[in-house]
Amino acid sequence: MRLQRSLEACKFGIINYFDALKLQERLVSDRKSGKILDAILSLQHPPTYTLGKRQTDHNLLVSEADLKTMGAELHYTERGGDITFHGPRQAILYPIVSLRDIGFGARNYVEGLESVMIEVASFYGVNAHAGKTGETGVWVGDRKIGAIGVRISSGITSHGLAFNIDPDLRYFKHIVPCGIPDKGVTSLKRETEMELPPDEVIHEQLIHCFAKVFRFSDIQWKKQ
Amino acid sequence: MASRLLWARRAASYLRISTFHRGFSTVIKDLKYADTHEWVKVDGSSATVGISDHAQDHLGDVVYVELPEVGASVVQGKNFGAVESVKATSDVNSPVSGEVVEVNTELSGSPGLVNGSPYENGWIIKVKMSDTGWFASPLHAVVSAFHFPE
Repeated sequence: MRLQRSLEACKFGIINYFDALKLQERLVSDRKSGKILDAILSLQHPPTYTLGKRQTDHNLLVSEADLKTMGAELHYTERGGDITFHGPRQAILYPIVSLRDIGFGARNYVEGLESVMIEVASFYGVNAHAGKTGETGVWVGDRKIGAIGVRISSGITSHGLAFNIDPDLRYFKHIVPCGIPDKGVTSLKRETEMELPPDEVIHEQLIHCFAKVFRFSDIQWKKQ
Repeated sequence: MASRLLWARRAASYLRISTFHRGFSTVIKDLKYADTHEWVKVDGSSATVGISDHAQDHLGDVVYVELPEVGASVVQGKNFGAVESVKATSDVNSPVSGEVVEVNTELSGSPGLVNGSPYENGWIIKVKMSDTGWFASPLHAVVSAFHFPE
């Protein structure tokens, strides 16, 4: 007997990192108490640098003052992973799902997120692949197109993935992205020969792939 | 879960094939398991806590362990620290309530001990229990031990 599992997909425009974080905290708490079912947030951020739990700020190559001058924010978070950049034209998905309900651990979940980005890249003729052990994320050759940083609390996920559609890649020059020197960053725009649809279409494709990979039977769409 | 295993064993025995070769995690006698896959070894009022072999396998290679301070309180069922693996931080919950009397500082330099030796050198904290009464919900070593292929 297949369990009917519904995914609530909430679409936002560009929202501030702090606001998105507060929203996720509320949703995680609601999910833990069973007030809501699994959900996924789809959005983009203004220029924002974020650090993970290990606070690897030695991988930030400029001062915080310089960041302000650039118009970028810096946030310390509880997610896994190293330093990264988020900005306009980068698709962000924050799934708030119960891994215990599907018997997944961190590894399966992250592999699932990687496969979501790999599949969407393939729609545009881009041959992406998961990183080697210790290099979680999605790569085209040795250029990173998609990043992952997740938090799992009592089996409920928050944070998620960031997929470069066509962000301003110059922002990545100010960090050692994900703590891995010598590897470049790329975007769907750079790698594809096809014309890209509006970002909203790519966000929807990511959500559809997510629902498929994590075996949801239907998606309830909500626009904010 | 236990009855599925029993059924599987009976079916296997009838069909003269062996039961699942893959998917068995190591289970150690005398340990109690919480349903979130932390184990606890109790010795009087002192408890050692770690995560099970099943849990470390599901996490992937651990690269960082966030430890509480010695002297901190822990509450049964609440998180006391976290581990990071594959760009994911996962909360670790305490199966007992009490005061942290020791943390495994080896994990700072060698977080992989959690994967390689989950029940021995990969222990995480030692707790002086505030209540030596037993867990509210029954603990099940069997459930933690056997997981079926997904």
